Amino acid sequence: MTPAPLARHILSLADTKRLLGIRYSDWLLGSPSIETGIAASSMSQDEWGHARLLYAMLKRLGFDPFEVEHERPAARYYSAPALDHPFADWAHFVSAVVVVDGALSVALESFANGKFALARSRVPKMLAEEEYHRRFGTAWFSRLAAAEGEGAARLRDSARSMLPTTLAWLLPGDDAHDTLVADGHVWPEDRVRDRCAQLLQGTLATVGIDLGTVEPARDGWDPERRRGPGAPAEEAVERARGDRNRDLFVE
Amino acid sequence: MSTGLGEGVYEVFARKRRGEPLRHIGYIDAPGDELARVYAWKTYDEESWFEMCVVPRGAVIPVNRVEGPWAKNVPEEADGP
Repeated sequence: MTPAPLARHILSLADTKRLLGIRYSDWLLGSPSIETGIAASSMSQDEWGHARLLYAMLKRLGFDPFEVEHERPAARYYSAPALDHPFADWAHFVSAVVVVDGALSVALESFANGKFALARSRVPKMLAEEEYHRRFGTAWFSRLAAAEGEGAARLRDSARSMLPTTLAWLLPGDDAHDTLVADGHVWPEDRVRDRCAQLLQGTLATVGIDLGTVEPARDGWDPERRRGPGAPAEEAVERARGDRNRDLFVE
Repeated sequence: MSTGLGEGVYEVFARKRRGEPLRHIGYIDAPGDELARVYAWKTYDEESWFEMCVVPRGAVIPVNRVEGPWAKNVPEEADGP
């Protein structure tokens, strides 16, 4: 069943945050320094906390948050495709902080300024926490880009690989999203593009990427899940659902 | 001072409420000021801090002791008047 536009939007934000938290958590150990791992841990927990708040909003729209969080198969996740698989290396991690987390922040800022009361009251605190993710991503991206060589090349390649699907996730350009804009829940596309450019272009330019030339990849678009084909890897979804702790859930 | 990763040590100071004195709560290694701000905030996040600051260890000048983490920052003895 295709959810109403507002529910689809919230699911898309929540699932992306949940998967991003898992991908960050993969780097608690093995990141370049202890402090970097601690930051990855904290960012991971931020993402999961935000996801829980977003899932809880769905209760207001008639959904059972427990079913949404713990019962869905991978094929019914609405997360950004860039998070379907683990990050290949540290440059990939850093690119995701800038591109995917950056896109999430723009989407949240837009949502916080719309008509949905729960978003207006709860999202601003998320955005305050996201500010540290932005600083982390910008500083690391600049550092790797300035070092040039293999690291900068991997940074550029990973950012380029995730931008088209992430832009499509941010700017679906379909009827459900048009309804969301018309109802005043999110900013129109041109304003989202402007904000995205404001936040990301300077950083991406350090590896020669011009955001204005990147086209959203909408091939095989699934209007129910607001994303292209594919699904997050089963192992990540098992963690997202908490399959191994199913008998110990306390609500 | 260096960790071998091109990093420097930053001392972390914080206070829980306006009007309280800043107190030294620890230190972190970071490759620059901007990441030092992020690492400090994320590392010492067990409290809801009103204010937090980081100071490069090299900028802390000891006043009355010549050993400890800031010993290297003791200025050359000034010439007399």
